[in-house]
Amino acid sequence: MTISKEMNTATQQVSYTETTTQAIGFETFHTKSHFWGRLTIWSVILLTISLPLYLSFGLGYHPGWSAILTGFSAYAAIVAVVWFIEPISYYPVLGVSGTYLAFLTGNIGSMCLPSASIAQSVVGAEPGTKKGEITATLAISAASIVNTTMLLFVIVGGSYFLTLLPESLTSTFRFVLPAIFGGVIAQFAMQKPMWGVIGIAFGLFVNLGPVPRSLQTFLCILGTVIVCLLLDKMKKTKETA
Amino acid sequence: MKQAMELANSPVIWVFAALVVVIVIFQAIVFIRIASQAAPAVGMNKKEVGAAVRAGAISALGPSFAIIVVAISLITLIGDPVTLMRIGIVGSAPIETVGASLGSQAVGVDLGSPKFNEIAFTNAVWVMCLGGMGWLLFVALFTKSLDKIQTKVARKGNNVTLLKAVSTAAMIGAFSFLGGSEMIKGVTESIVLIAAFLVMPIIIMLSKKLNASWLREWSLGLVILVGLSVGYLLS
Repeated sequence: MTISKEMNTATQQVSYTETTTQAIGFETFHTKSHFWGRLTIWSVILLTISLPLYLSFGLGYHPGWSAILTGFSAYAAIVAVVWFIEPISYYPVLGVSGTYLAFLTGNIGSMCLPSASIAQSVVGAEPGTKKGEITATLAISAASIVNTTMLLFVIVGGSYFLTLLPESLTSTFRFVLPAIFGGVIAQFAMQKPMWGVIGIAFGLFVNLGPVPRSLQTFLCILGTVIVCLLLDKMKKTKETA
Repeated sequence: MKQAMELANSPVIWVFAALVVVIVIFQAIVFIRIASQAAPAVGMNKKEVGAAVRAGAISALGPSFAIIVVAISLITLIGDPVTLMRIGIVGSAPIETVGASLGSQAVGVDLGSPKFNEIAFTNAVWVMCLGGMGWLLFVALFTKSLDKIQTKVARKGNNVTLLKAVSTAAMIGAFSFLGGSEMIKGVTESIVLIAAFLVMPIIIMLSKKLNASWLREWSLGLVILVGLSVGYLLS
């Protein structure tokens, strides 16, 4: 119901902007983001549920509901908490449009966030601002297209290209992630070195300490935010005193 | 195993995978379009819009390559189209492998074993698809509520600076968590991370000094190259 209502308002807005000017305000941008974001995500939800349904009942390979439930509950025990924690913790960084984009295309920490933060540093926009959100949207969209196209080519090409690379070279690809994370932390730490130190301390603590895997991301982000803000407050009170 | 893989690579499954890819790319194009339309309202000119798109695309090259190398391992287990569908959306290769093997084990067969048949494959697909749906459902249902909370907070003037600070600290926290999980993997990983941490500021300072913004757009690519070289030399 709500979707069809939004569809109406959104189509009205689309026709409105197309007949008048190209530029839209930030509020309209959010309305449109909700509309297109929800439409695309609901379509993918429908598609991902229809594939197993088709295998089960269209082709007759149904494994039985109890087998599905057994596998699903084992998997859910690992990932269910993350379903809620990830979108909430990344929201302040991604914003409305970034959330729709990043959770559809996946690889949030290794690709979407680094791309967004580099783009924000290129155009000089801060995360959490309107300009920051537009910049992140543009960057994550571009990243999503690049990633999906590359994946498509490699898979259609029978992953032949990768078999040409020597083993010694492909094994070094495991260093891509530490390089990305080190580089991006440094980019932020340039403005506030102390915040970088606090972040890395929390990062090592939640990874090494007795913290359940599903809560690690959340606790690290929450802890870093609280300590950094307290530090800022202490500094300010010192300056005014 | 052979029959299961024939099913896994059959044209019908390709159709599902292709549709998902089309939606992902369509979404990205729509968001580039509406974000460029909203750009003037937040004080962004055309040049900055182009720079943001370029920076995003360039920065995705390195990570994409790494993602694909890991994804290749999934192809032998669950076939081309399902890999494309699962990695193209939501998932990352390691977590999807866990889902696929749990699904296969639930019918008493190990993923990749000779006994892996059509039914085990179907169950693996069920578990991966249902498991990945949690994120999608949450985002589809609750992003609007998150937006409302944020708008309410931002309405008070001095809260905007607070939001900025929270976002920056949240970003540092997120990357520190990810960085920490890499550092505990080994000494080489830690050294690579520290090398990248030192090289990045140098690139940023150079781009400022030379007034070369292209250098900034390529910064992540360069940092990855340095990291890979350091890792290659040490291992």
